[in-house]
Amino acid sequence: MALSSFFGSPRAVFSAATILRAVFLVYGIFQDAYSPMKYTDIDYFVFTGAARFLSYGKSPYARDTYRYTPLLAWLIYPTVWPGFWFSFGKVLFAVGDIVTGWMMFHVLRRYQNMSQERALKYASIWLLNPMVATISTRGSSEGLLGVFVTALLWAVLAKRIALAGFLLGFAVHFKIYPFIYATSIVWWLENGDRNINKSGKSSTSSSPMARLFNCVTPQRLTLAISSFITFMGFNVATYLAYGWPFLEHSYFYHLIRIDHRHNFSPYNTLLYLSSSLKAASSFHAASSLELERLAFLPQLLLSAVMIPLALAKKDLPSTMLAQTFAFVAFNKVCTSQYFLWYMMFLPYYLPDSTILRSRPIGIAALILWILGQAAWLQQGFQLEFNGQSTFVPGLWASSILFFLINVGILSVIIGDIKAKDSAMSIVAKKKA
Amino acid sequence: MKQRITYIVRNPDEFTPEQLEVIGRSLNIQKLNAAKEHRITLGLKELPRELSKAFEQWHELHIRWASEKTYPSIPPFTSRVTSGLHVFFTPHKDQPEGQLCDLLHYAFGPDLKCSSTNEASTKLPILSERFSMSASSQYYSYLPTLNSLVSYIQEEVCKSSVKACKNAASSLLSASYLDIDYDTISHAVVLNAFWSGSPEANHWTETITLPSKDQTTEVGVLNYEKNPDPEDIGFGGFLTVLGQDDAPKPTQFQTPTRHYPLTHPLTYTTTFQPPTGLHPTLHLSFPASSPLTPPDPTCKLHTHLTLPSPLFIDKYQFSDPLFLTSHNLVSLHSISGATDLEAPDWVVPQWGSAALFELAVPPSSGNGNGNGKGGGQADWNVTITLHLRYLPATGGGYTRVPIAWPVVFWACRAEEGTKMSVNPFDRLHLGYEGLFGPRTRFMHGSPAEGAGRLVEWVTVPVLDLRKTKWVEVGTIGTVVVAFLGLCWMLFGRKTEVKNGGMTKKKQ
Repeated sequence: MALSSFFGSPRAVFSAATILRAVFLVYGIFQDAYSPMKYTDIDYFVFTGAARFLSYGKSPYARDTYRYTPLLAWLIYPTVWPGFWFSFGKVLFAVGDIVTGWMMFHVLRRYQNMSQERALKYASIWLLNPMVATISTRGSSEGLLGVFVTALLWAVLAKRIALAGFLLGFAVHFKIYPFIYATSIVWWLENGDRNINKSGKSSTSSSPMARLFNCVTPQRLTLAISSFITFMGFNVATYLAYGWPFLEHSYFYHLIRIDHRHNFSPYNTLLYLSSSLKAASSFHAASSLELERLAFLPQLLLSAVMIPLALAKKDLPSTMLAQTFAFVAFNKVCTSQYFLWYMMFLPYYLPDSTILRSRPIGIAALILWILGQAAWLQQGFQLEFNGQSTFVPGLWASSILFFLINVGILSVIIGDIKAKDSAMSIVAKKKA
Repeated sequence: MKQRITYIVRNPDEFTPEQLEVIGRSLNIQKLNAAKEHRITLGLKELPRELSKAFEQWHELHIRWASEKTYPSIPPFTSRVTSGLHVFFTPHKDQPEGQLCDLLHYAFGPDLKCSSTNEASTKLPILSERFSMSASSQYYSYLPTLNSLVSYIQEEVCKSSVKACKNAASSLLSASYLDIDYDTISHAVVLNAFWSGSPEANHWTETITLPSKDQTTEVGVLNYEKNPDPEDIGFGGFLTVLGQDDAPKPTQFQTPTRHYPLTHPLTYTTTFQPPTGLHPTLHLSFPASSPLTPPDPTCKLHTHLTLPSPLFIDKYQFSDPLFLTSHNLVSLHSISGATDLEAPDWVVPQWGSAALFELAVPPSSGNGNGNGKGGGQADWNVTITLHLRYLPATGGGYTRVPIAWPVVFWACRAEEGTKMSVNPFDRLHLGYEGLFGPRTRFMHGSPAEGAGRLVEWVTVPVLDLRKTKWVEVGTIGTVVVAFLGLCWMLFGRKTEVKNGGMTKKKQ
């Protein structure tokens, strides 16, 4: 009963979420001050280092491994001021967490018709999640992305299309990957008149041209134009200010990166193998088929085309979860920070999910997800600290295993979303 | 050609002038227990045309090679560089880069990692702008022997005076270090080899002959004499100019010096404690028996590392005072070269990186309380965290990487900086003097004698090519199957799901 009264009060939940982060933040300050092992994430030293270069009137890209938009360094500019200001960025990221949670709460209340208590419980998957709180208070910017992506979802559901376009453009400028949401949002937005009458089912009688024309609606145009203008606006502005290094580090690096340091991605070992062989035989033509160069195909087909087309009209937030899950699982690089990208969509999907309804499936999914990582981490530790050559079969097999576990979970998610009524009918019911 | 041969007698009490005898244009040396330096100065015209053209590509070129065997140093030859081949050079202004790699592959061995001068070399950092004597670029490689150079000299350089030249060349095989210097202003090439002792037995028995009348050869047999002025070093002994002197002439002189001998020896060992993993930690140990007392209050203990490209230092780690203290470091003074924190080794064209650290000393040895024996009872350990790049896959799953012991020295303030270069034994271009002001005196530590080799080999785990047969097929196959399975989930078995739980429940 104490729990239910706790989740009955937004004030209690949000206070707890704030206190949780405040405790982590203060603990981190103490650990940093008294131990050579730092609580603060290495990335945070990269951001703050970049901000320091800004304060010298230099480019943030003067800091090695700064691969982000200059806006991030400007956002945390106060960290160059003396004393406690160093933690400004972490406070900002933690506040971002809370704002994200607050928007989640409202999306759940308003667009998933949840009671206040139920909405708070599900928002707490994010708000009271120690992993989320740790990541942002250690100073990783992934949580900040949660603000933009959740705001994007809210704006779309609220049909504030121009705003949604702005947020989409900005999120893509900030972290590239949110571009996958463009297709699902476009598809989710209603078609022209003719199709609405047939409640979402595309007309088979009309000509392809007419159908295509039908797809171009004022809403979709607004979204496309506003997101494009925002994206290009930020790019042009930052390019004018910081030139080629901006494009090189925040975009091209991610396309051509060659650092194969072991990570969860199933491609990792293959990329190491082929790149190393290529270096060894630089004068000969590469012998392998280099199929790994096509790795973007299944990833983008799934996350940006097929999942949106098959599912977006049924349930947009859960579709975005499936897209992100597919994008991360099929990515050429995958670290645990990327898991935050899909965690921010769990509160919308979980309430009606097989994972929560069927105890065996849910528990199995959770245990396998954790075990997959544990197996990989064990192999990684043997390599990294004990110097054992665990690349094959250990690391490779465990990354393939983890990949298969992820694909299994993804297929459960896809099955759940497919089983839902189409979003159109839900909207129609709501209106009625 | 000018030659200067200097013997520094190891034990002055054992030495008698009877061990030297001038016969005509020769000097006979009998059972001399000494270190030896042989300096040959050649005009460019005396070299084969191709070689002189190769030197002329540079404004200045300084090659430093040091053996991987331990050797005892002796004043004035106390300065050290890390084992291996160092090249410091400045190209001519407004001229294309010279062909350094060709020269190195030709003279020192085709296996050196050097693809092009521009890419393989790195800029030498200069903290003190006024110290204009530094070269601008640096190259380094692990090189255990001078075999290639010796055969190169024997085949390409020794054309006229065959026998003596070939013998001189092969004597380099036992040298402790070798310096080769060229600069545009002097238009001369200076070869300077140092032996800490005779390779045969413990003493030198040899005859030095003036090769021809138009050349000069000067031979000195010197004792190091202590207690001159505090900034100088002094020597006494005999000088002989061959073909001119009938007997060795007694001499005594003192000179200011850049590399000053230590009164208390400073010895150290370098180890990597296994397992080194992908983050090997370099341990510098100073035995309790040689206290780390600064020879003078201005002295600071330093170490200079020369790391081949498979290893790198993350400079950002060394900005935290707590981290530095926990490793007995004071600061990372300078780092240059290939410092990319992510790149695998095969995309790094540079030779590697160099770093200068200031080391902490035990607190008790700093203040004068500990009646001379301060420094504590335990060994003093300094640790430097390194990181490994990914290295190319091999057949066995492991690769070995050589890391030369770093040099360790006290850097102290000197009153008379500019006069140091009058020292006839002055040694410059060691890679680290440019990081200090011109008025700096270096007092060098010596690697512990028992160590044997001054190169540590670190085992690096890499992808094992014997096991990768299924990696490509397995990865692509898994991804394709997973992709098709998800496609089927998305677009297949429609009817089945429509009757599934979700819709039922809602209705």
